[in-house]
Amino acid sequence: MNQNEHNFDDLKKLLKLKQHEMPPPGYFNHFSGQVVSRIRAGEAGKSQSFTERLQVEAPWAMSIFRIFETRPGLIGGFATSLCLLLVLAVVFAERSEHSSQNLLAISAEPAAASVENSVTAMTAPAPALVAGSDNSGIVASTNPVTSLQPTATLFGQAGGSTLFQPASFMATGH
Amino acid sequence: MIMPEPIATPDSNTPAGMLEGDLVRHAQRGDLEAYDELVKRYQQRIYATIYHMTSNHDDANDLAQDAFIKAYSALKSFRGGSTFYTWIYRIAVNKTINFLKQRKNKHHFSLNDLDFNTENNPDLVALISDKTPVREVGLAELQKKLNEALMKLSEPHRMVVVLHDVQGQSHEEIAEIMDCNIGTVRSRLFYARQQLQGYLTEYAKPA
Repeated sequence: MNQNEHNFDDLKKLLKLKQHEMPPPGYFNHFSGQVVSRIRAGEAGKSQSFTERLQVEAPWAMSIFRIFETRPGLIGGFATSLCLLLVLAVVFAERSEHSSQNLLAISAEPAAASVENSVTAMTAPAPALVAGSDNSGIVASTNPVTSLQPTATLFGQAGGSTLFQPASFMATGH
Repeated sequence: MIMPEPIATPDSNTPAGMLEGDLVRHAQRGDLEAYDELVKRYQQRIYATIYHMTSNHDDANDLAQDAFIKAYSALKSFRGGSTFYTWIYRIAVNKTINFLKQRKNKHHFSLNDLDFNTENNPDLVALISDKTPVREVGLAELQKKLNEALMKLSEPHRMVVVLHDVQGQSHEEIAEIMDCNIGTVRSRLFYARQQLQGYLTEYAKPA
């Protein structure tokens, strides 16, 4: 590197010329005042663009964007790999669905008979309940709401049923 | 246009006497006097960097002001991971590079005048004395050619040359400002100098 440094001696001297380029006299006397008055005027509160905010708050994200910007092949490869991942995910999801359906079908066949038996057993009314329904008018059912409802109308059964008593109120005459 | 590091005076009650960290804390609480002092401390260096990148005084003025305004609006997100000086530099550098990218290769020069010390710089005098007998014409022409050559470089290469060879920043500082490693700074600097030497063979001959 020393050899290279030596080679650039003339260039470095030449670049010193830039240090002599000066703005108009008195320019910096008002610079900070202009900045502060623009801030007071509310320019600092103006909404920043997404990229501007990203540059300040997450410079690492901007450097990733810059890498993508300078190497378009890289972003192409990244996008392709994302698409491949998506396709693979869809294919594997379908396969696992099929295999689970097959497993269900295999396990369902031997159990079908026992399930059928249990279903008929559940739907058949219990003998004791059926017998009881003749006297009380209550139908046995798996539905708990309707099981307590009398089958006949309320007033039609009021006379004969022991569940309902006629109410009588005496006026006191006050 | 290299400015000396600001030194805090013993009177720490006024913004001018405060240390950078105290000024930043005051500015974060909305103290515009403290922020005004921060702007005063770094305005020349920020302006000069942008000016050397754009070769245009008006653009440099607008961009430098915008950079300070943007820094103020983002000051609450400044956690002190780096110095305020590096942080504001980074904002200015990113703003300038974005501006130049948008403008693409349409350069409009608005060069500042050379100060009266230029003619007394022995290095520069030696460089032009054998080219032209009229010194002032030589300097003006040299300034134009130098700026044109700089504008031919890509933005990151130009930035490294400006920060190192013109502003006198170290490789480490440049790496921090440009968010890259020191090796990248060195290689960019070497390549940029090679390019510049090619454009300015008339004045800068390899040894």
